[in-house]
Amino acid sequence: MALSPAFLNELERILGTSGVVSTPEGRLAYECDMHTYYKGAPDFVVLPETTAQVAEVVQLCRRERVAIVPRGSGTGLIGGAMAPVGGVMVSMTRMNRILDLDFPNRCATVQPGLINLWLSQATREHGYYFAPDPSSQMVSSIGGNASTNAGGPHCLKYGITVNHVLGLELVTGAGEILRVGGKAVDAPGYDLTGALVGGEGTLGLLTAITVRLLHVPAGVKTLLASFSAIEDASEAVSAIVGAGIVPAALEMIDEVFVRAINEGVGAGYPKGAGAVLLIELDGPAAEIEAQAARIVQICRDHAALEIRVARDEAERALLWKGRKEAAGAVGRVSSTWILQDAVVPRSRLPEIMREVVAIGARHRLVIANVFHAGDGNLHPMILYDDRVAGELERAHQANDELLRACLAMGGSVTGEHGVGLDKAWSMPLQFGDADLAFMARFRRALDPDGIMNPGKLLPSHPACGESFRPAAPRLPTGTWV
Amino acid sequence: MSAPDLAETLAAIVGHEHVVREGAELSATAIDGILPRWRVRPGSVDEVSRVMALAGSEGLAVAPRGSGSARDLGMPPARIDVALDLTRLTGIMEYVPADMVATVQAGVRLDVLARELGKHGQMLPLDPYGGASRTVGGVLASGASGPRRFRYGTGRDLLLGARFVQADGTVTWAGAKVVKSVTGYEIPKLLVGSLGTLGVIVEATLRLHPAQPATGSWLFSFPSRDHGAVFVAAVLASDLEPERVAWLNGVALVRTGRESSEAAVAVSVASVPEAVASQGAALETLAGSAGGRASTLDDEFWPGLTAALDAPIVVKLAGEIRRVSHWAGELQKLCAHHGLTAAVVGEAGNGVLRAGVEGRVLSQDWAREVVSPLRDGLSSEGGSLVVERAPVELKHAADVWGPVPEPALTVMKRLKAEFDPRGILNRGRFAGGL
Repeated sequence: MALSPAFLNELERILGTSGVVSTPEGRLAYECDMHTYYKGAPDFVVLPETTAQVAEVVQLCRRERVAIVPRGSGTGLIGGAMAPVGGVMVSMTRMNRILDLDFPNRCATVQPGLINLWLSQATREHGYYFAPDPSSQMVSSIGGNASTNAGGPHCLKYGITVNHVLGLELVTGAGEILRVGGKAVDAPGYDLTGALVGGEGTLGLLTAITVRLLHVPAGVKTLLASFSAIEDASEAVSAIVGAGIVPAALEMIDEVFVRAINEGVGAGYPKGAGAVLLIELDGPAAEIEAQAARIVQICRDHAALEIRVARDEAERALLWKGRKEAAGAVGRVSSTWILQDAVVPRSRLPEIMREVVAIGARHRLVIANVFHAGDGNLHPMILYDDRVAGELERAHQANDELLRACLAMGGSVTGEHGVGLDKAWSMPLQFGDADLAFMARFRRALDPDGIMNPGKLLPSHPACGESFRPAAPRLPTGTWV
Repeated sequence: MSAPDLAETLAAIVGHEHVVREGAELSATAIDGILPRWRVRPGSVDEVSRVMALAGSEGLAVAPRGSGSARDLGMPPARIDVALDLTRLTGIMEYVPADMVATVQAGVRLDVLARELGKHGQMLPLDPYGGASRTVGGVLASGASGPRRFRYGTGRDLLLGARFVQADGTVTWAGAKVVKSVTGYEIPKLLVGSLGTLGVIVEATLRLHPAQPATGSWLFSFPSRDHGAVFVAAVLASDLEPERVAWLNGVALVRTGRESSEAAVAVSVASVPEAVASQGAALETLAGSAGGRASTLDDEFWPGLTAALDAPIVVKLAGEIRRVSHWAGELQKLCAHHGLTAAVVGEAGNGVLRAGVEGRVLSQDWAREVVSPLRDGLSSEGGSLVVERAPVELKHAADVWGPVPEPALTVMKRLKAEFDPRGILNRGRFAGGL
């Protein structure tokens, strides 16, 4: 897309020269998110500081029919914050303030570029925190979290981002400044707040977000149980959930990852374990004591090799450090992989893990697993060596079979990463034509001219993932999943 | 198509015995005195689809209906052709207890579902006022909630996936059948509380929760609203994890068979027995510091709250959590000034209050001196007042929903125009004329 000098002048009029990036080397830094295969630099990057500037940019782009791509911290894993057809990227990094902390009303209002962890750091001394905790939380933005409806380990008990968003300010694709929801719940009319979360920048640009704050729980107990086989660990997960216990987090780490984490992060996970479960309980002391005792019993019944309980905050932090930096640690084993984010009903966990092993064997590939077992959200990482002829193709085939196996069990394409460019092509595997048409019409009501993040989320656009497929998807070292 | 032809066509879809054309069974479906031409009871999703396709092509006005408990909600319709009765859709389609997810048809009653889930130690924690005879579809479409929302959220948080029939009969699915999914837009959120104006929910996939091994409930009575407010703030600022924190005024206490006091807060806790006991003790300490008296309640207290709202007028106020006691007082004062008695029941931890109002009031007084000042005050903090039930003349005097601010209303109208351009579904009843 060739944009005229006059267009650049207009952007500079709105944002000032320091608010527009137009040099080739400057734009290059914005050509991809953490899914580095999908590359597409925008024609211009703008760095707004106010909602009014964002609205002016949208109105300008609408008038000129120029594509807009929103971007938070760029830590997404789906090819969402990149510009497949060029256009204007709106980076929210300068809109990163906490606008309001309101503890009596248990909420905070923040700008979209605020880093997730900063909010909990600002509220913890008052006894509150923001529950959604994607593994990227020390760098990802709350606007990005709300835009992709991000998850995280503690979603098992507390729900994903949408369950914590009370209100939004959003500049629609039509250039309107929409304010919905807020400190008071149940506003009459449609729940636009709920429906706009997870829009992946295809409906508009988030410029402020009111989120729920939770009180820090009375107690936390973190357990680590090791098993010789991943099947035993999977059965233990089903048994824990079946016993009516909803832990705060229930994470599975397989043998490949245990080795990589021990070597890379030094988390001290039991050597030689075939699978490790990281289990966290939080709540009133009496409740977590009783539940921990029950979980220990269940793990023993499922042939656990060893069960450790973190004795203090330092030990707890170390157990979590291994989990949160797992994807980075696996770089020691392989530098190239394909990551899957599909979900299965939790009762099917043992079955899908057998299938994962079978698919890996069939394609002669190592598939490493670290995932949110408690809610059935898998993250198989299919490791391959792109110097070996045909291995990438086998990895793609394995990835496709895995996704289809999850869907055949009644699962879902993505549990927390989102659709973006990467999975737009797979939407028809989960939804029928009428379902997709409904979504497309919903999108049109917010973005009548189709300028918002074209090619993402829905499969119909010519810029969608299909045309970008195969080649070499790889995630860089230091990716969070 | 002529009226007799339409009736015959409807009968050909659902069977003659399921098209009610007259009598008490028809008049029971009237909304604000407007009688539908037919009460139609489809027995399958396909039949719902075919009825809607006919309605869409013939421009018939359709009012979907579950148990009928929310029929008072909304502005009076200009006309209803079809009361679309979904109570024959009673299938529990999929329920794997280990998944803690159930997919059920819209007409399944909450009590029927609760019995089934209870066999496996699970529950759907939706506890709307009006009782357990309400249907899943109706509760979701009307956005109904009760005091358990403090811990478990509302339909917005519990509806994972939905099958719905659009105004032209298109059967559509949105969401997922697993507890965690971000595949596609959050369309189920759009349906919850939309009063069926974008589509008729026919099937819901719901997140379930484990029933806790022990529960405890307490009533804390206070000498003034301010004392009660101090207690609520203390509970919310503590690390206790109650499942309900409900506000009651003196009238509500009397209507639910309790001794009157200026203000009371009912709290329930669900957990292992040791944690119920320790949290109960902590609550009693907090209440004592706030000048309250404690008494224990049995589980029957909670469904009994519905009695407080069994009144000809029901209003719902939503505002800031910290302002609950203020709005409870304002509401009581304005009602009393016009000779009305208000039984106030609130979800104090969520900033929501409802009142069952009794007595006679002039329409203009109701609109100008009760609804308007409360609505103005609430809207200044982003809140709202909805008249959930009232005689028709009061509904005409003051819009039951109140204004929907721009440009949100414009966006909502674009959605309505996109999905129901002819205004087939619940025409004229929903907020902002949607």
